[in-house]
Amino acid sequence: MATRKTSKHGEKNPLEWTVFAVSALLVAAVLGYLLYLSFTNRITTPNLVARYYHDPSTHQPFRYRVEIENTGGATAEDVIAEAVLLKDSSELEKAELQIMFSPKQSTREGWVIFRNDPSKADSILVKIVSYKKP
Amino acid sequence: MKTSSASLREYARGITGGLLFSLPLLYTMEVWWAGFSAQPYQLLFYIAATFGLLLGYNRYAGVHEGAHWNEVLIDSVEEIGIGLVISLLMLWTLGRIDLAAMGTEEIVSKIVVESMTVAIGVSVGTAQLGGEQEQNDGGLNPRPQRSVSLRGSAVLALCGGVLIAGNVAPTEEIPMIAMEISAIHLLVIAVQSVALGMVILFFSNFKGGAGKTSWTLVILETATAYIISLLVSVFMLWFFGRLDGVHFDSALSQVIVLGFPAMLGASAGRLLIK
Repeated sequence: MATRKTSKHGEKNPLEWTVFAVSALLVAAVLGYLLYLSFTNRITTPNLVARYYHDPSTHQPFRYRVEIENTGGATAEDVIAEAVLLKDSSELEKAELQIMFSPKQSTREGWVIFRNDPSKADSILVKIVSYKKP
Repeated sequence: MKTSSASLREYARGITGGLLFSLPLLYTMEVWWAGFSAQPYQLLFYIAATFGLLLGYNRYAGVHEGAHWNEVLIDSVEEIGIGLVISLLMLWTLGRIDLAAMGTEEIVSKIVVESMTVAIGVSVGTAQLGGEQEQNDGGLNPRPQRSVSLRGSAVLALCGGVLIAGNVAPTEEIPMIAMEISAIHLLVIAVQSVALGMVILFFSNFKGGAGKTSWTLVILETATAYIISLLVSVFMLWFFGRLDGVHFDSALSQVIVLGFPAMLGASAGRLLIK
């Protein structure tokens, strides 16, 4: 090797070998993960689910925290969720929540605020109204 | 064998270059979105394309002139690795990575999309940001102006084009301009791109620019650079999902609009990063 023209650069010190080893490991891990994702059969549309929790604040006693989770295999854009207070099967009040993006396998959250006391309604219904392909 | 402090200095240059060239992208939301909207196969393709570009750049213009392919390969892997780490740190600092709410796929994809430009920046930074002393370490003579083959200059044009066009390719502005532009303006952009490329390549006397040359060479080189710029535009627009379900006219107008910054990079970049 010593006679090779490139040998002056070819020999690496321990630091360089470490950086290379870590880099190679990282690259291999990322490639492996992406290959795994490409070859496993998954749903390729968004699959959104909304959950809600009562989360009052000092000025907004009827505030609810809404969590939107995308368990599907594609990202949804411009997600609109609706929270409705139902009484005697009619709509007492409706609140809307918009989320710009809901990436696959991720959760986003927001809050909706009612004017009426939800405890006076029969039920709360939180549902996803629409979303689009990014 | 290089001393550890010399390698550390080299890495520092690389990191500076990586940040310098990719900072606009790290701060652009369309790029974060591209990360979670892209399908895994697109990301694999993106990594492969970047890796090819790095191999080419390191072979023809990298810090280790005349390097053996083994070394070029090692350098390229290192640059991608450094790119991944820098992107991870930057995105985390900017609050774009949230382990509790985001899935692994979202985080990994985001990092991958950002890290590819960082990797090219690292490569260019390592090779170009050093002083004369640094660049020559181990060499006997001051660095001579490299003569680059047509294939070499094509690779450099590709790198320059990606580096410059990459800053605007993911933004919403490209489809917006393309949608609103009139045919006349589009034609002007195309002519402007070619003229600018010609000026940069042959008349401005940039470092590495050709002196007196024949018209056939001027036309050949400018045309090569413009074709490369248009190809770079097509690839980047495809990756960022701008060509999906789009009519040919609208796709073409986007390609020409993005072709301008790409041409700027392909011609100037190729002279500056030699």
